[in-house]
Amino acid sequence: MTIAIAALLVLGVLIYTLIVRPGSLPEPEPVSPFRHVDEAKARIYENLRDLQFELRLGKLSDEDYARTKLDLQKELAKVLSDAEKLKAELGVQTSVKAAKPKVAPEHVCPHCGKKFKEAMKFCGSCGKPMEADA
Amino acid sequence: MFRLRNSALAVLLAGYCLAQSSSQYVTPEIRRVGDKLACLCGACKNTVATCQMLECHYSLPARQRIAKMQKEGAADAVIVDDFVKREGKKALAEPPNEGFGIMALATPVLAIGAGLALIGWFLRRYRKPNAVPVMTDEEVQKYQDQIDKEFSKLD
Amino acid sequence: MENIGALAILLSFCLSIFAIVASLVGAWKKKPFLIVSAERAVICVWSLVTLASGLLIYALMVGDYRLAYVAAHSNKAMPMIYKFSAWWGGQEGSLLMWNFILATYALVVILQNRRKHREIMPYVTTTMMVTQAFFLMLIAFLVPPFQVLSTGGKAIVDVGDGQGLNPLLQYWTMVIHPPTLYLGYVGYIVPFAFALGSLITRQPGDSWIFTTRRWAIVTWLFQSTGILLGAGWAYSVLGWGGYWGWDPVENASFLPWLTSTAFLHSVTMQEKKGMMKVWNLVLVAATFFLCIFGTFLTRSGIVSSVHAFAQSPIGPYFVAFLTVTIAITILLILSRLDYLKSEAPLESVVSRESSFLFNNLILLASCFAILWGTLFPVISEAIAGEKISVDAPWFNRVNVPIGLALLFLTGVGPLLAWRRSTPDNLKRNFMWPTIGFVATVAILMGFGISHFYALLSLGLCTFVTWTIVSEFFKGTMAIRQKDGLSFVPAVIELTHRNTRRYGGYIVHMGIVMMFIGFSGAAFNKDTTVEVKVGDKFPLGRYEIKVSDIKMGQNENYIWQNAIVEATVDGKPFATLTPERRIYEKSQQPVSMVAIKRQLNEDLYINFAGMGSESQLPTIQAYVFPLVTWIWAGYWVLLFGSLICLVPAKIKMQYARTEVVGVSTKNVPATK
Repeated sequence: MTIAIAALLVLGVLIYTLIVRPGSLPEPEPVSPFRHVDEAKARIYENLRDLQFELRLGKLSDEDYARTKLDLQKELAKVLSDAEKLKAELGVQTSVKAAKPKVAPEHVCPHCGKKFKEAMKFCGSCGKPMEADA
Repeated sequence: MFRLRNSALAVLLAGYCLAQSSSQYVTPEIRRVGDKLACLCGACKNTVATCQMLECHYSLPARQRIAKMQKEGAADAVIVDDFVKREGKKALAEPPNEGFGIMALATPVLAIGAGLALIGWFLRRYRKPNAVPVMTDEEVQKYQDQIDKEFSKLD
Repeated sequence: MENIGALAILLSFCLSIFAIVASLVGAWKKKPFLIVSAERAVICVWSLVTLASGLLIYALMVGDYRLAYVAAHSNKAMPMIYKFSAWWGGQEGSLLMWNFILATYALVVILQNRRKHREIMPYVTTTMMVTQAFFLMLIAFLVPPFQVLSTGGKAIVDVGDGQGLNPLLQYWTMVIHPPTLYLGYVGYIVPFAFALGSLITRQPGDSWIFTTRRWAIVTWLFQSTGILLGAGWAYSVLGWGGYWGWDPVENASFLPWLTSTAFLHSVTMQEKKGMMKVWNLVLVAATFFLCIFGTFLTRSGIVSSVHAFAQSPIGPYFVAFLTVTIAITILLILSRLDYLKSEAPLESVVSRESSFLFNNLILLASCFAILWGTLFPVISEAIAGEKISVDAPWFNRVNVPIGLALLFLTGVGPLLAWRRSTPDNLKRNFMWPTIGFVATVAILMGFGISHFYALLSLGLCTFVTWTIVSEFFKGTMAIRQKDGLSFVPAVIELTHRNTRRYGGYIVHMGIVMMFIGFSGAAFNKDTTVEVKVGDKFPLGRYEIKVSDIKMGQNENYIWQNAIVEATVDGKPFATLTPERRIYEKSQQPVSMVAIKRQLNEDLYINFAGMGSESQLPTIQAYVFPLVTWIWAGYWVLLFGSLICLVPAKIKMQYARTEVVGVSTKNVPATK
């Protein structure tokens, strides 16, 4: 009994491991050669956004803000020119699929004009019905 | 049967309790000396004063010994020396500031020093106050529109 | 059955070797067949290790006392849950569990990346399987869990009942403490494997960081949880009222936590600016190796410890494994230094970047000091020929200042701007927190507290809390202004925008609460007395009276407890029943302490038995101020870490460049 189970186990493992049909080879996801450029770009935009937010929080002096923003823009320009170089090098044409910021549809009160993130029956500001906004 | 087990229980508890002794309690005087001595029971990293195992086979006799020597009028240093004589340097809770023991505190301090030096080197090596990628203003201008456009989409 | 288990282990060992060879050859000769075959081998390894674990658990549950492991770690009287936890109660079983967790991680990685990261996956598989093969080798040849008991010759002996799990471990936190810690220990192999993989294949960009970010946080969380569960267990079971004893094994679990904390911080530098690439690789490697080292320390018996498993022959193998793998890693990093070049310079010394540098320095200094102190007795014996003890006082002397420096940086970091902070910035950000610090110290001194470190620590806690709260408050106000949200939704919106930053702040808050708890240790009070039933003794603001002694037994242990009544100013405060147990099987006495937990202080009573001469109950009573804050801090830390795991709202929605066609220019050969 034990021997039978053991033999079965070994056999099963060997078959599963060693016999790989061509059909079961995974199709790798296409990787864009521009991925690291995109990532670098996203990183700088992220930094820019942070910078702006910190300015709004009053954590930054205007001078620091201006200098750092200029730096970031220069870095961004560098990345963009790198991307163009890479494009020329690879000899391909590209299209940039724009970012789709998932901003919730804004619901504007037809009466007072205040904006809300969620759809509501009545305006949270003036209290009048918001149905018309649908 | 139950009664038998119960009496076994009483014997057990009594037998166990025999290991206890009233002299285990730590007076402030014993604590003062005991804090300088390591508990060498092998299971804890406490001092003779702070080892809380009542039945500790090292700390308990050690405390009794401290108490006895104190009664005889021995100074703290004499008691500590006596322990070192009997057990070797490992009787001390902290490495002594002599011989190889100096290395115990010196090495981490040196390591922090080395770390600071490393940071200093790093700052000097990589600090370039105004160095951003070699881009002229015209080149930046060239991309300015694209940057503004993409950034406005994000916020 | 034991034969099947042993076979499964042996077979999985062979398969892990096969996976290594097949991956490497497959990557070298560019044969996808071999790579897939290796990945299937990994799946088989997982199945077989799971089978072996299942068999061992089954044997423990039904009580197959022919097996040496079952006989040594389980007995009939134990509740089911402890029979299950006996899986990791001993050397052999816990190594099997190590293997199981590692194989599970490997399986998850393989399944997640069937179509992704094809270029680096062979190396990821290799890294994980090298480790797996090593640990499988241990249980296949050196400490086999499926050993049967026999009498000299061939006859198998069934001893009928076992020794039972160490009674100290029969406690609920001990059921989850080891697995959590192992989950943390083992988990760092994933970031390490991806880091090595992308290093070997010279991947452009920092994709390994993005890929393994979640792994790193989850693993870190497991590590933190494991460490704190251990501390909680020590506090409520060991009866000496401490939660941290600087025991070598505790230290061993703390070391990788320190480096991984450093990694989690310094990795933001790479994400944000492409700096510190070599350093991050070193940190992730150090974390992984310290995890292995910790396992080694626990199991080899080179340092004495309460946690250590019985001495076993596996020590030298660990040393060999560590030496070889560390050497390979160093060689790989050195051979690819050009690839790891920093992308950006450092603009200013006063900046967020350099605060990260100092944070790393301090975490690593602490790590080094603890490692040094742990190994010092061994080192001194080897070099100076005499063993020198390094005990709790030394560790406290070194680590308390380091910890406070770290706490200080926790507050300073968020106040400094990226790239540069001018004096004007510093003034506007530091004024109020500093005032908070000074005020706290002044108030506490007014209350007559003069303990230097406690004052400093509590003052810094205010400082850091102030910075964190104001980060949230200012951010929320800005969002309210812009989006017109009310306060709570604005806080949620703020956190959701950048979950890792604000989750991180919440984790910091948890750490601050823990520091409040640690500071309480400066004001501990304790007393040990023998009292007659009915007599009172004072401790702090409490009057404590033993009102009764009871005893009894069940099939697992016999017990005796004391009914202890505590009063404050003559008013009843609490009735506690600390208990003393003696387990039948092991004859080991265990204290079940009674704790009245409060936010300001815990009243902690241990019933130590009856005095031998007096036959009076011996009571150890303690007052531990602020200890509850440590455990509360953990829940905050957990909450914060979970927030870090939530995908940020606006992260990564960046433009993607796609290749749509070939340009008319000459097409050079693609790389």
